[in-house]
Amino acid sequence: MAELVIEGLTRRFAEVLAVNQLSLQVSNGEFITLLGPSGCGKSTTLASIAGLDRPEEGLIRLGDKVFFDSTNDVYLPPEARSCGLVFQSYALWPHMTVKANVEFPLILRSVTSLEMKRRVYEVLELVEMTAFIDRYPHQLSGGQQQRVALARTLVYQPDILLLDEPLSNLDAKLRDRARLWLADLRTKLGLTTIYVTHDQIEALALSDRIVLMQNGEIAQAGPPQEIYERPSSPFVADFLGTTNFIHAKVISKDGTGTTTFEVGSMQPLTLKTSHSLTPGSTAILALRPEHIRIASPHNHAQSAGRFRAVIKGHAYVGGKWQVTAAIGSDVIRLDSGTQITGDEIDLIVEEHIVTVFPGTKSFETV
Amino acid sequence: MQVGLSGGHPQAGRDQAIQYGIAVLTVALVTAPLLPVLYQSVIDRALYDAGHNFTLSNFSRLFKTEGFGEMVWNTLLFAALTTLIAQLIGTFAAILFGRTDLPGAKVLGELFLWPIYLSALVLSFGWYTVYGPSGFITMVWRDLLQGPVWDLYTIPGMAVIAGVSQAPVAFLYCMASASMADPSLEEAARVSGAGTFQTLRKITVPLLMPAIAYSAVLNFTVALELLAIPLVFGEPAGIMVLTTFLYSQGVAGIKPDHGLTATAAALFLVIICFLVWLQTRLLGNTRRFVTLSGKATRPRLFQLGKWRWILFISTVSYIFLSVIAPIGVLLLRAFSSMLSPMVPLIEVLTLSNFEALFSEPIYSRSVWNSLLVSTVAGLLGTLLIALIALVVHRSEFRFRDLLHYVALFPRAVPGVVAGIGFFYAVAALPDLGGIRNTIWILVIAFTMRYIPAGFGAVAPMLMQVSQDLDKAARVTGADWWTACSRILIPLMRPALVACFTLLFISCFKEYATAIFIFAPGSEVIGTSLLHLWIQGEAGLVAALAAIQIIVVGVCVTVARAIFGVKLYG
Repeated sequence: MAELVIEGLTRRFAEVLAVNQLSLQVSNGEFITLLGPSGCGKSTTLASIAGLDRPEEGLIRLGDKVFFDSTNDVYLPPEARSCGLVFQSYALWPHMTVKANVEFPLILRSVTSLEMKRRVYEVLELVEMTAFIDRYPHQLSGGQQQRVALARTLVYQPDILLLDEPLSNLDAKLRDRARLWLADLRTKLGLTTIYVTHDQIEALALSDRIVLMQNGEIAQAGPPQEIYERPSSPFVADFLGTTNFIHAKVISKDGTGTTTFEVGSMQPLTLKTSHSLTPGSTAILALRPEHIRIASPHNHAQSAGRFRAVIKGHAYVGGKWQVTAAIGSDVIRLDSGTQITGDEIDLIVEEHIVTVFPGTKSFETV
Repeated sequence: MQVGLSGGHPQAGRDQAIQYGIAVLTVALVTAPLLPVLYQSVIDRALYDAGHNFTLSNFSRLFKTEGFGEMVWNTLLFAALTTLIAQLIGTFAAILFGRTDLPGAKVLGELFLWPIYLSALVLSFGWYTVYGPSGFITMVWRDLLQGPVWDLYTIPGMAVIAGVSQAPVAFLYCMASASMADPSLEEAARVSGAGTFQTLRKITVPLLMPAIAYSAVLNFTVALELLAIPLVFGEPAGIMVLTTFLYSQGVAGIKPDHGLTATAAALFLVIICFLVWLQTRLLGNTRRFVTLSGKATRPRLFQLGKWRWILFISTVSYIFLSVIAPIGVLLLRAFSSMLSPMVPLIEVLTLSNFEALFSEPIYSRSVWNSLLVSTVAGLLGTLLIALIALVVHRSEFRFRDLLHYVALFPRAVPGVVAGIGFFYAVAALPDLGGIRNTIWILVIAFTMRYIPAGFGAVAPMLMQVSQDLDKAARVTGADWWTACSRILIPLMRPALVACFTLLFISCFKEYATAIFIFAPGSEVIGTSLLHLWIQGEAGLVAALAAIQIIVVGVCVTVARAIFGVKLYG
């Protein structure tokens, strides 16, 4: 096994740039998630690695093995790449039993029958499907089909594992279980893995590194916690988790980084930020709902991170109340443990947790 | 962790070799009859004679041929009348069986389709037996009821037979269109105050226009290519059309004029090419105009009210007269020494027609040859069509679009032109592997002719198979050919059964191509039918036709019952 290197990958569909000059390195044993909304180029990137799609430009290599190189006109067909790909649809061959599906890659590799028997059993044991060896795909549940698809991929010990939204066809409960199972399996195998999903929870829970994509380019790449807590753009902040955006104007800034903004209708809000902001300029503040607390109306001692909002509505969502409130023209969402009364509400954010994006240019939300 | 096994791709060039092989074979098969025809049309002597000179004199000779103008006029008139009759009956039937509360609409609709399963030759004989000068119903009508007598030996007479036989085509297209139309369009008209017949006239029929237009061009094309009806009814009355001209010049004549035949065939080819192009244009438009609704809603049936039983009786009479009588009486004729309303049936029932048929080696051989040719051409054709479909729809083959076009081109080649073309090809080329004058040349010609029909049965099914399934095989280490043979072909099995059945029936019915290329020893049912017809052996014609009807009937029934295969529509 070796590291995967992608350099300057570009893929056009007619006039649309599906993938634009994408470069990425995945080290041996690393679990990487390509995350993004549909049409961001994540599946095209995966198909290019597997050899199912031929890009226009770029280089893809796994260790010394060059999969694709546009400058030297190298294009290895999918069957010569030894990649393992689990399809979103599982793509189990409906006319073959579980056993025949899993055996197929081994038959292609002329494995002896004794060895074949051992390896099929071993891999089905790994995915806990030995009891279903003689079933046909249509006799299996979605979750079971997914395990067989994984077994069929693992049985020939691929150099790299590619997973294309493998959990998206499962219902919510099953998906949670499958995710835990997959996380467990990932630790057992230690295989270099590229996982494509649009589900942020899967991405956060499974990955060593998340590569968040937008319009065929990498919006941000990094460990889950880093991406979640320090998003590099409003798009990232908005895509990963729920984020409230508030338009603000910089009033003043002192030497320690304490900055006073004006939000809503002439309302001051004091936060700490490392950005160099000039008074008079504008910015967008990104606040996670879980970082917003409701202030005690009688305690005016704390002023940092404090602001007032107009209550627009609230709904009981089980165990808590979801509150919608407005600061000027910006609408925010937050959770409350108790029912809220009155027209207005005092809120406090942890001053160092707010992410500040200088400039008010409108941004794309998901 | 063990070191991964390397992917298995035994021969890197194998996929390409297979793809190029299929493409070359298809191109050879399709051009084999066309190039000789085009070549023969521009040289001054038969193409198997030495020392050709290029010339355009064939064209001027053709136009100056006596009766050429009349022949072209006859052809167009016959095709136009046929199309008109077929469209009127077919559209009316589609609305009646598909959209109204007519009693027994489903069964009547099934019966209405029957003519499409039979060859035009057999239908011609059926009509002759019932409505010919000494036909069963003709005699009842003339002798018992003293009614005025019709004459089928005229262009309108021929057009009625052809129109009735082609009406199912218009019916099928209109039914398909009607079942896809959004029923709320009609409901909106009803709610706005339109009555049953107003809604039909203003909404339903206009919505069918694309289907009517497309099937009209299709029927016009089929009518131009039709040989049997003009041969059986036109020829004796001296009415010549393009197909019978080609037949008499190319086969029946004592001293065939190859330059003239080839030139007429080439012109014919150009006309049909244009019409097929028009069909594809119209089909593209159909998709744009027909209002599709994703929901599987069943349109509400129109209430016929007081017309219900009158229309039922008229429909049953029509089906009896146009479908049941010609086929039924022909079958009866096969099992009797003669048929006449004056003689009780029980006195004439006999198996002697079949005994006579099978005592003559030519005719018994033609039955076995038909079965053999249809089976072999069906199998080879299905295999070739499956491979073409795989290359066209499931490979990265560089010329796959071109292959697709070539594979569908035989649609534009009339049966008689294909026959003449293969006849020339065999005559001009050195006898390859001794196939000249054997049934193998028939196998090759039939396979070529029915590639488009078979492709139409296979390709949609293949496109429904998820691409993930073969992609998955590729990623796990299978090359293209392994993915095709191990994954896709097994999954295509129902479509391949349908394709084989369709090819078998089409080949079994074939006569227009066969009459140009058969030889003593390689007779098939179609050629023997014509042979017996010319000799005036009405009983033997009926017996041979009965065999064809029964074999085709069994095939259709078995395919539908066992495999659930839907042929046509």
